[in-house]
Amino acid sequence: MKTLGVFFNKHNNPLIMKELDDYKYALDESAIVAITNPKGIIIHANDNFCRISKYSRDELLGMDHRIINSSFHSKDFIRDLWGTIANGKIWKGELKNKAKDGTVYWVDTTIVPFLDQDGKPYQYVAIRSDITQRKQSEERLLKSLKEVSDYKFALDESSIVAITDQKGIINFVNDNFCKISKYEREELIGKDHRIINSGFHPKEFIRDLWVTIANGKIWKGELKNRAKDGTYYWVDTTIVPFLNELGKPFQYVAIRSDITLRKKAEEDLIKYSSALEFKNTQLIDFCNIVSHNLRAPLINISMLIDYIDQSTDDEERQMMHSKIKPVVNHVMEIFNELVESIQVQQETGIESDKIYLKECLDKVLISFEAQINEYEASIELDAGEAPIIRFPHKYFESIVSNLVSNALKYKSPERKPNIKIESKKVNDTVLLSVCDNGLGIDLHLHRNNLFKIRKTFHKHPDARGFGLFMTKTQIESMGGKIWVESTPDKGSTFFVEFNNQIV
Amino acid sequence: MTTIKQLTLVDDDEIFVFLTSKMLVHSKLVDLIKIFDNGYDALVFLKENLGNIDALPDIILLDLSMPIMDGWEFLEEYVKINPLIGKKITIYICSSSISPADVIRAKTINEVSDFIIKPITKDKLVELIKNL
Repeated sequence: MKTLGVFFNKHNNPLIMKELDDYKYALDESAIVAITNPKGIIIHANDNFCRISKYSRDELLGMDHRIINSSFHSKDFIRDLWGTIANGKIWKGELKNKAKDGTVYWVDTTIVPFLDQDGKPYQYVAIRSDITQRKQSEERLLKSLKEVSDYKFALDESSIVAITDQKGIINFVNDNFCKISKYEREELIGKDHRIINSGFHPKEFIRDLWVTIANGKIWKGELKNRAKDGTYYWVDTTIVPFLNELGKPFQYVAIRSDITLRKKAEEDLIKYSSALEFKNTQLIDFCNIVSHNLRAPLINISMLIDYIDQSTDDEERQMMHSKIKPVVNHVMEIFNELVESIQVQQETGIESDKIYLKECLDKVLISFEAQINEYEASIELDAGEAPIIRFPHKYFESIVSNLVSNALKYKSPERKPNIKIESKKVNDTVLLSVCDNGLGIDLHLHRNNLFKIRKTFHKHPDARGFGLFMTKTQIESMGGKIWVESTPDKGSTFFVEFNNQIV
Repeated sequence: MTTIKQLTLVDDDEIFVFLTSKMLVHSKLVDLIKIFDNGYDALVFLKENLGNIDALPDIILLDLSMPIMDGWEFLEEYVKINPLIGKKITIYICSSSISPADVIRAKTINEVSDFIIKPITKDKLVELIKNL
C-alpha cells in the first residue's frame, strides 16, 4: 500500500509527472474530454469539447451536461447511465448531443468514475469521440432500407410482380401474380412465362420484347395472358432488366397491372362503334332512298297533275292522265321493297338453318329452268369442301336465287352462260363464290354503288337495282360479307362469306 | 325573246323528260332538245363533239340518280374534259334529291351553276334560259 501511495504521488516523481502529462496531451488531442463533479457539474472541458459543442469554456464550466442534452434519449436510458457511474462502474455508449447552434452531433462515450477512499465517485471523466458521420450514414441507410421495404410493400400490394432469371425462369412471384394467373406459387417457380402464354400475340411481338430486355432496355406494353383455368386476362406490363457489373441482365423484374376490364371495354367500344357505323350507313342509305327514289315518282305525279290542270286540250289531258297510274304502281313497288329491307334489318336473332347446298341449289334452279334451257347455260357446283352452310333458309335461297339470276340476266351475247358455284372452308367461315362468264361490271365506275338500292349498271329492261341491295342486307344482318371481282366482258365472281360456321 | 340553240336533258326519269320537253317546246325558247338517259351516253356524245360548237348544248340539265353513270360520276369526267370543250356550257343539277349533302357537294364543283330541286316549273325554265 505504501509503495502504491508513493507511486501515485505525482508531486514527488518528475518522471511519472512527465508521462502523465504526455498521456493527457495525447488524450486532449484525440478525444473530447470533460470532467464533472459528482453532481454532474462540468469542472473541466478540453478544446475538442468546446469545438464540437460550439460553446466557449466559460459557458460550459459550472453547468451540468443538460446544456448539451438533445432530448433524443429516453429517460430510462439516462437513468441507467447515471445509475451505472454513480455505482462506480464505467459506462459506455453512444450519445446524441446538441451544440450551441442547435445542430446535433453523435459521440461514442466512455464515462469513468473516479472513486474516493470510501469507494464513492468524486468526479467523472467523460471521454468522447465524434461519430456523427457514422451515425448519419447509419441513419440514412436505415431510412433508405425502410424506404425500399415500403416501396416493395406498396408494389406487392398494388401490382402483379414476377422476377425471372436471365433465361426467363420464374424465381419469384407475389400473391397478386398467383391470384390473377390462378396458379399456386409452387406451380410457377422454376417454369418460364410460357405457362401463361395466351398465344394471342404474334411471334414478332414476343421476339421484340425479348430483344429489348436482353439488350438491357426496359420494355413496356400490354399483354394478353391465359390463367390456369383457361380464361384470359390483360396486363399492362413493364419489364425491367437488372444488370450485372458487365452490363448484362442477370434477372428481369416484370411489374404488371390488370387491365382486363379496360381491354374488354375497349373491345366492346370497337364492336359498338362499328355496329353503330353500320347502322348509320343503313340510315344514310335509307335517307337517300326516301330522298331520291320515293320523291322522284311523287314529283312525277305532281308535275303530271299540274300539266293536266293547265291544259285545255282534252286529248292531251287524257294522255297525261294515263301516265299517272304506272307511276303510282312504281311508288308502291319501291315502298314494298323498302318495307321488305327494313324487315330484314329489324329481324335480329333470326335462327340459322342447316342448308345442304346441293339440295338448295337444285330447288332454286327449278325456277330458272326456262332461261337455262333457252340460253343453253351450264351450271356447275363444287361443294365438296363445305357441303353444308348454316344460315336462315329463306335468306339463303333468296341470295343464291339473286346471284344466279344476275349471272343469267347479264350474260354475254357472245357466249353461252357458264356459272360455277363453289363453297370453301376458311377458318370458321364458309366462302361461297358464284362465278360467271357474262358481261362483267366496270368496278372502276361502280364499286361504290354496286350494292345500293336502285342502282343499275347495264341497259337491261329487267334491271331494277334491288337484288344486290337486298342480298347485301340479308347477308350483313347475319354478320356476313359480300364482295365482287369482275372484268368487263370477261365475267364476274361474287363472294359471300358466311361466318360462325363451326358448330 | 332570247332563244338558245340547244338544251340537253341528262335524266332517266321518262315522265320528267317528257313533261320538261313539252314545256320547252311550248316556250319556243329552244331550237333543239337533246336527251340522254344516263351520264355515260351524254359524256360519250360530248367527247365526240369537243370542237363541234354547233352540236354542243348551251345548257345541260343534269339528274343525279341514273343507271350506268350517275350525275356525280358524269361531273367527275366532265371536269376533266371541260378545258377541251370549245363552248361555254352551263350545267344545272336538276334532281329530286332534297339531301343537304348533295347540295353542299354540288357547290364544291365549279362547273355546276346551280342546284335545282325538282319539280321544275315552266316559269323557272324560262328564267334559266333568259338569265343565260
